Amino acid sequence: MHTRLRLELIIERMAAKRACSVLEAAGLTGYTVLPAISGFGGATRWNRDTDMSASSDMVVIISIGADSQIRAALTELEGLLGSHIGVLTVGEVQVLRPHRF
Amino acid sequence: MDIALATLLSPIVLFFLLGLAAALLKSQMTIPEAFAKGLAIYLMMSIGLKGGVEISKGDLGWDAGAVMISAVALSFLLPLIAYSLLRLTTRLNEIDAAATAAHYGSISIVTFVAAGQAINAAGLQTSGYLVAVAALMEVPAIISALIIANRGQAKSGSVAGSERGELAREVLLNASVVVLLGSLVIGWISGEQGMQRVAPFFVDPFQGVLCLFLLDMGLSAGRGLRNGWRQLGPGTIAFGLYMPIISAILAAGVAFLNGMSAGDAALLITLAASASYIAVPAAMRLALPKAKPSIYLTLSLGITFPFNLILGLPIYIWLARAVSPGAV
Repeated sequence: MHTRLRLELIIERMAAKRACSVLEAAGLTGYTVLPAISGFGGATRWNRDTDMSASSDMVVIISIGADSQIRAALTELEGLLGSHIGVLTVGEVQVLRPHRF
Repeated sequence: MDIALATLLSPIVLFFLLGLAAALLKSQMTIPEAFAKGLAIYLMMSIGLKGGVEISKGDLGWDAGAVMISAVALSFLLPLIAYSLLRLTTRLNEIDAAATAAHYGSISIVTFVAAGQAINAAGLQTSGYLVAVAALMEVPAIISALIIANRGQAKSGSVAGSERGELAREVLLNASVVVLLGSLVIGWISGEQGMQRVAPFFVDPFQGVLCLFLLDMGLSAGRGLRNGWRQLGPGTIAFGLYMPIISAILAAGVAFLNGMSAGDAALLITLAASASYIAVPAAMRLALPKAKPSIYLTLSLGITFPFNLILGLPIYIWLARAVSPGAV
């Protein structure tokens, strides 16, 4: 098994496209976007089904890559999180096929 | 009084109240998100087609053009009034006030649809071109709010350069604008004959689909209110109730100056009095991401929409009759 970094970004749907562009620009070879159902934060409870515009929807973006690629993306993503709602975590993971990340 | 009672006891309002009550009582009932979006598109296609068919009968003249220009000007103006009132009467900061003001200058297409039903039930006739007016009134308020937000301190919270293209697409090509204007043109081209072919789908089931959609709107409004009411102070809640009336009075003036019929005036007044909760929130998340959606969404969907649907429509019909020449 080989060590890589796993980036997990929970961010509002309206900013997801820009976050994905940052990941692509950092050279990450892949990412997955998942819908978030509901949550609580900033003293506010939210659900997917309360907003017809879907503008308050949150998504989870997961990407796995080499240390240098993930760190390259972090500065830009930090700027994005300065204005948009979101949470970013990075952790070590073990991968079976290192050439894919 | 009869119109007020008839509106309140109409199936669409009663289904809305059912959804609202269910959500406030924490019922688990939900309508699948994709299905609700499909219903919204269906309703917009239906009113767009009907409007287009009316225009094909020769409904579009200089008078309609004058109303369209007046409505766009009104949509530019309303956010300025809303912003000033919010800053004077509430504790909202510049960004939250600008984002909220945008919602009150733009329109709610569901309120427009419900108004159409109430106006017809009141025995008044409406013109097809008002659908185009609805589509035209979606966007100017967003531009006004961005101009307000881009002054002074609020500048730091406004749209980043790289998001401008995405914002322009969201504002100009959102589902309401594309579907409404597209269906209007299709209805205009295909005319009465074309409409007859699709009437079993777009005309006959319309009322039932509207009930289903209003049930979902009630659920959305109730859940939004339940989750976000703590964010609203008394001044902000009061704004959600008096701003529609101010907008309605200004629109009544526009209707009077344009010599609009009572039915058309009632629709224009309703458009001005309604607050957006579909097109504008999406634009505001891109343009003013630091503005709190829990304030502007809860206010427009949880306070103003129910007010307009339950109490506002009879008031607007009465106002339209008062300013229209020859109306009883």
